[in-house]
Amino acid sequence: MNLKHISKIVFPMLLVIGFSACEIEKIEDPNNPSVGAITGNASLSEIQNLVDGTEAAMRINLGFYYDGVGAIGREIYRFSTSDPRFTSDLLGKGSAVLDNNTFYTTNPYAARYRAIKNANLLLEAVDNTKALTSDEQRNAARGFANTIKAYQLLLVWVQQYDNGIRVDVADPNNLGPFVGQGNQQEGLRAIGTLLDQGNTQLNSGGSEFPFGLSSGFNGFDTPSSFGKFNRALQARVQAYLESWDDVLTALNGSFFDLTGGNNTGVYHPFSTAGGDELNPQWFPLGATGESRVVQPSWVTDAEAGDTRLSKATLRTDTEFQDGLQSDYDLTVYASNSSSIPIIRNEELILLYAEAKIQKNDLVAGADALNTIRNSAGLPDYSGANTKDALIDEMLKQRRYSLFGEGHRWVDMRRYNRLGTLPIDRPGDDVWVKYPRPANED
Amino acid sequence: MKYNFLRKSLMLFALLVVGAQAALAQFTATGRVTDASGQGIAGATIAVVGGGGAATDVDGNYRVKVDGATATLVVSYVGYKSVTVQVSSSAATADVTLEEDFAGLDEVIVSGLATNVKRSNLANAVSSISSNDLVGTTVQSSMDAALYGKLTGVNIISNSGAPGGGTTVKLRGITTLNGSSQPLYIVDGVYYDNSAFTSNTNFISKAAGQGSTLVQDNPSNRVADLDPEDIERIEVLKGASAAAMYGSRAGAGVVIITTKRGRRDGTSQVNFSQSIGFQQQLKKLGVREWDEAKVEAGFGASEVPVFQAAKNAGKLYNYEDELYGNKGLLSTTRLSLNGGSDKVGYFAGFTRKTEEGIIKNTGYEKTSARLNLDLKPYSWADLQIGMNYVTSNADRGFFNNDNTSTTMGISFVSTPSWANLFPDDNGNYPNNPYAPSNFLQTRDLITNSEKVDRILGGGIGNFQIWNNERNSLKLIVRGGLDQYTLETQSIFPRDLQFQKDGNGTNGASINSVATSRGTNIAAFFVHTLNVGDNNTTFRTQAGVTQENLDQNYTNTVATQLIGSQTNVDQAGSIQSAQTKLIQRDKGFFAQEEFNYQEKLIATVGIRGDKSSRNGDPNKLYYYPKASLALNIHKFTDLGTTLSQLKLRGAFGQSGNFGPFGATYTPLNPIIIDGSTGSLIGTTAGNEDIGPERQTEIEVGADLGLFKDRLTIEATYYIKKIDDLILQVNRPSSSGFTAGWQNAADLENKGVEIALDATPVASKRFQWNTRLSMWFNRAKITRLDVPAFNVGAFGATLGTYRIDTLASPTQLVGIGPSDQTGDKSDQFFVYGDAEPDFQLSFNNGLSFGNFEFNALLHWKAGGENVNLSTLLSDIFGTSPDYDDTTTDPSGSLSNGAYRLSQLGVSAQAWVEDASYVRLREVGLRYNLPSSMFNDRAKIRIGVSARNPLNFFKYNSYDPEVSNFGTNAISSNVEVTPFPSAKSYFVTLSATF
Repeated sequence: MNLKHISKIVFPMLLVIGFSACEIEKIEDPNNPSVGAITGNASLSEIQNLVDGTEAAMRINLGFYYDGVGAIGREIYRFSTSDPRFTSDLLGKGSAVLDNNTFYTTNPYAARYRAIKNANLLLEAVDNTKALTSDEQRNAARGFANTIKAYQLLLVWVQQYDNGIRVDVADPNNLGPFVGQGNQQEGLRAIGTLLDQGNTQLNSGGSEFPFGLSSGFNGFDTPSSFGKFNRALQARVQAYLESWDDVLTALNGSFFDLTGGNNTGVYHPFSTAGGDELNPQWFPLGATGESRVVQPSWVTDAEAGDTRLSKATLRTDTEFQDGLQSDYDLTVYASNSSSIPIIRNEELILLYAEAKIQKNDLVAGADALNTIRNSAGLPDYSGANTKDALIDEMLKQRRYSLFGEGHRWVDMRRYNRLGTLPIDRPGDDVWVKYPRPANED
Repeated sequence: MKYNFLRKSLMLFALLVVGAQAALAQFTATGRVTDASGQGIAGATIAVVGGGGAATDVDGNYRVKVDGATATLVVSYVGYKSVTVQVSSSAATADVTLEEDFAGLDEVIVSGLATNVKRSNLANAVSSISSNDLVGTTVQSSMDAALYGKLTGVNIISNSGAPGGGTTVKLRGITTLNGSSQPLYIVDGVYYDNSAFTSNTNFISKAAGQGSTLVQDNPSNRVADLDPEDIERIEVLKGASAAAMYGSRAGAGVVIITTKRGRRDGTSQVNFSQSIGFQQQLKKLGVREWDEAKVEAGFGASEVPVFQAAKNAGKLYNYEDELYGNKGLLSTTRLSLNGGSDKVGYFAGFTRKTEEGIIKNTGYEKTSARLNLDLKPYSWADLQIGMNYVTSNADRGFFNNDNTSTTMGISFVSTPSWANLFPDDNGNYPNNPYAPSNFLQTRDLITNSEKVDRILGGGIGNFQIWNNERNSLKLIVRGGLDQYTLETQSIFPRDLQFQKDGNGTNGASINSVATSRGTNIAAFFVHTLNVGDNNTTFRTQAGVTQENLDQNYTNTVATQLIGSQTNVDQAGSIQSAQTKLIQRDKGFFAQEEFNYQEKLIATVGIRGDKSSRNGDPNKLYYYPKASLALNIHKFTDLGTTLSQLKLRGAFGQSGNFGPFGATYTPLNPIIIDGSTGSLIGTTAGNEDIGPERQTEIEVGADLGLFKDRLTIEATYYIKKIDDLILQVNRPSSSGFTAGWQNAADLENKGVEIALDATPVASKRFQWNTRLSMWFNRAKITRLDVPAFNVGAFGATLGTYRIDTLASPTQLVGIGPSDQTGDKSDQFFVYGDAEPDFQLSFNNGLSFGNFEFNALLHWKAGGENVNLSTLLSDIFGTSPDYDDTTTDPSGSLSNGAYRLSQLGVSAQAWVEDASYVRLREVGLRYNLPSSMFNDRAKIRIGVSARNPLNFFKYNSYDPEVSNFGTNAISSNVEVTPFPSAKSYFVTLSATF
């Protein structure tokens, strides 16, 4: 028994005690990338991941969005044996109203803000990363993020209208106010401001993005060409604001081309590859039970020979549900991997026509409408050459050119014509807006 | 950390120890320990106060070396009251007579992380059971299953009858609304992981996803790996007032397990035993008797000729017997060796267990080897080392809920008796025309196994740093490792009805590997100060603890299998998933015990804990405790009848972590156009999340009558759990739809009463009896979110509902609008999973060489959601379909009535799950040792587990849980693996 023996025991003890007194290191999530790490000092590939994630998020619940605004705008019926609310709530059947806690309200809303959250993470990552070495790279990335955010907010605005939209949502625990509550134009103005901010950033964003974009942005994948996409969105926003000079200015900076292809533009890509998403607006022809069919007046109101009628395909059997019926399937998209447009030249030509008509430049307006009519196999416009008549014609061309792309309801609302939409069953309603989701209050 | 101060102090202690040791002389004390009748007691412990000890030999004689000129010996033996004697070098012989301890007052119970206390001085109602209670009556399949009905305040539910275990243990009610509410298990100081890892048979069953997102793969939980034969005793700390010293891991209580150790009397003992038995289905329900009219009503006129053809050919089958009728052979072989001297003690135990299930191709095999060593290299140092290796394999069949009609249970209830599912002469199975799967084919061809290899190692060092008459200082160091690999393999060959011809994925091989590695280490100083000569002591302990846990789970699903290959390479499609868990905890504990002549025992203590599981890993959360025990009978003479009266009260707090990952906001992978992106998850992590905090107050009285021949222990507790963690809705403009939050409080109150008596204690005949009763009532006292349904399949079929001021385990459902009764919003309350009360009655008789023991267990009240009945009604196969006992108007048959309630009321499926069971019964005969020249003790016995069961519940067993060990969701039944009863013959020999 001596001191040596004791020290053999005591020393490990001391180690144990010393060890225990140390700090516990914070453990990062071992199963997923953590928000903290990616916004702290992201690598180039992590920034790429955030960009891809943001693009992918823009597609989430897009099907419910188009089904909702398409049905309320009386372009389509969404039939579903498993959920009667597509034909009751959305169409205001009997006493049914839009619910503030049901999937058609909450899911698209949450998905858009999820994409915005991802874009905000990208902005935070861009501010803090050491992987981006120049201001040009950082500005290019910021311009991308702000443009995407503005587009997502625009889709929220379409449904929320004068409920207002939350624009400042960077801090999830301290959300900003609802902008434009009671005045839908304020929400639009905030979106316009965000687009301008993005555009400025893109203009000082150098010649290329420090990341790649999906095939949906083919031709719009450099800061300057992406800027044209930004301006195209601004043209739509300014049209909603009835700021016709600003529409024309924005179109000038966009990819607007009176002689260009209608389908030039920016898209959501879809594919059948493992893990990717399928086009949510596609059903096989002749589907029953779960189907998406065309509101009959869209076909009957069309001019003979309009090639755009290919967007409705005659069914072998009439599809019935809930007191509604249609002989036509919605066939805007050819397959389950077709892309869904975000904005394309056909709309820009129509926006140009609208601005010109509104500014009483009726000739230029009618010319632009004729470009659209001709591309649909129709002869030149032969109606009255008055502003009102041309506005009717412009809205009609929009109805057929942009069918199924979520515009009809908005157009009727901004021209105060919701009352002209067809009512299919006695007691049905046409809603002006969606309710604010329950979890926002 | 003040290293300098510590080092100096330790050096000082070291010097003192050396100094003290150097001056000592030695002598040997001897004597004999006997019982009241003069018979020698073998194996009694002789402990020298201040260090050293020995045990008595077969005749009760002892020899023990003692340092110094005088010493105090404490003589103890299980079941007897301890006696203290003085010896000196001049009077070195001391014979001792031990008195029987009917009430177990001298039993030593843990009271701190480093200290024990006699039961008579304890301020809590700590339930404990000995090796004999655990495995003395009959053979036990697993440790947790062996606890049934033996502990007050404990609610144990077997999740199913599948071989290999799977048990839900709830101590004094549920203590969390998230994940599992399972106690912490500590084996010889080592944290013993009790996780349940899923096999992902959900890939086939698709059980989670529609109706319920919870996993329903029926995994076993890993405490099943412990061998009950190795266990010396189990103590159960049921609430925070007793378990506060385990801090933030003790939210659901703590089960402390002590394994057997070597006798240190210079002798050795070999024990061998072999049990052979069988198990069979616990309750047969029978099958529905069909006739033409019933067939036509249920299956249409076109089915009648099919039925008639089968009937005329004598091919109506009782598929209950076919599927569940196997008499499974059970065998347990046990070999143990123990012995040692005063310097070294050893215990080696080996168990080999094979169990065949009541369904062919199911079963359980376990091999466990344990070596426990006790070393005493110096008079001031004691080392305990324990090593355990277990390997087991369980073939668990394929049962519980599904959404694909592929499990054997669902397929079974879908199939009428005239179906022919048997293979032809070439072994080809016909397709089942009534369901997507042929359960006989499934039984014969699939594999669904869990294989475990587990190593447990631990060591405890006790170092007497300083010891004199007034002061003693000890250092106790403890460390342990618990490591295992669990492999699950679920093989669904492509020949199965639900895999071939486009019905599935042309075979599936689902493999998972879970590795778990837990380590813990702790060091404590214990200082005892004796004041005066009248047995008044202050005992101080303080120390630090550290626990680490690392788990890694990978799962691979291979489909489009090539031929009969099961290797995941031999597949056309593979998908995998991985989940990791990393946890680092550190804490300290300090406690002061004041013992005034064993009349008044007061304790205060505090635990401080920090953990990586909390939002702030370095924030210390404190869990205090305080308790007081008053031994009134030591203050004053209470007369001859009342031999003991103790009043006690205890308070304590403990914690429970939120779900792993609740502090993180994850970025999920998402694919677009061939690239993988990162997308923010929909549930926001909460960096501010803290543990759920439990506060328990317990008061009670212990009475001993007639020299403690009759004792009564009565306890009342209030256990409040604050800051329960819930997933709550968030404004979705934040980018999140949900977030984690401390958002609710819960309260459990209950009573536990235990009566122990030894009505007869003569030399020839002894009768011990124990009657205990307990119940728990719970309610939600705060809820920051709207009431919500959880844990089953929705209000149509009966579901749990969390609502303010309601029981967290209430079962609610839809009902007709004119119905009266308790309501929660638009839902009616149809029951509660919590039993009204439980009662257990244990009797042990010994007469001459015979011993008899029987344990009766009554669970009164408590409801289940029985969806097996619903499914068999839908398919028209319910055995009671044609009875008319349920329809209040008496017009509809049971099946028709229950089906008429679907969508109207959930009441038909919320059923009383009361039962009375003969849990264990055993009769043993000890052959006279004279037959073997006193060299061996041979005993033979017959016993049974659950041989008698009485319940009205309309299924195999009211004990069931489709959702495994989840806190809220047990007591839901969907076509489980039926329970079994078992019978044994045992031969055991001790040399």
